[in-house]
Amino acid sequence: MIDFSADLYDPVYSVLGVPATLSTGTAGEIALTVIDKTRSKTQTSGGVETSSVGPGAYARIPELAANGIAVGECIGAVLTFNGRSWIVREAPVQGSPNGEDLGEVRFLLMKAAG
Amino acid sequence: MVDVREDILARLLVVVATIPNIRSAYRNNLNIDETELPAVIVLDGDEETNDATDLSMRPAHRPTVVQFMPEIIIADQADLVGSNLSIMRRELIKRVLFDAELNEQIVKTGTRGNGAIRYLGCQTDVGWMRSLHGALKAQFLFKYSMRPEEL
Repeated sequence: MIDFSADLYDPVYSVLGVPATLSTGTAGEIALTVIDKTRSKTQTSGGVETSSVGPGAYARIPELAANGIAVGECIGAVLTFNGRSWIVREAPVQGSPNGEDLGEVRFLLMKAAG
Repeated sequence: MVDVREDILARLLVVVATIPNIRSAYRNNLNIDETELPAVIVLDGDEETNDATDLSMRPAHRPTVVQFMPEIIIADQADLVGSNLSIMRRELIKRVLFDAELNEQIVKTGTRGNGAIRYLGCQTDVGWMRSLHGALKAQFLFKYSMRPEEL
């Protein structure tokens, strides 16, 4: 059986990953490696298209688990990476061929107040 | 030359630009950036008459009543975008319905003529971007006399 953690996620996160901190109400602040998935995004309302960004980041669930954090605890947490701080508004699990517990979570982010 | 439709649209742009906290005001600009928010956009609207059913001997160039329906979009991004839109909607309606130039000089409502200005309603739309994005599209109706000899 292919070990996707060793053969896929380890090399990908070692190349594309950036250091981050995740501050949750329950587990305090932890160090984490995330992949910045902030991308341009447009919203069309009433025929008017507004350009902005959809901030997001991927993280590995085993890394969260090693720090004692469940995915559900991440909602509302502050995630800081690449010089910006965001609030996690949703955290859908992405799954992996070896099971969701060994896969990734996609943090959907929103601008932190202030 | 008197083009009431154009006069209404030009005046609307001036009026909506006075809504408090608006950062940008456009006419028919359908592509904006988040740095321009809160934004208000006046869209040239449809107009119609009842002349399709008028098969009388009335000369073609006689005045007719036009119902003109421009649309105005307000867009913003904020945690409390719904409240922001409500505030701007309130200011929009007040400014349009009470504007002296629209009422007295362009459309000629009340005792000044047979024109009318009505707020028809609005639709809202929200979605996530950097923060919560929201837009409100409001429709107004302007009834005025179109005089072909003045065009």
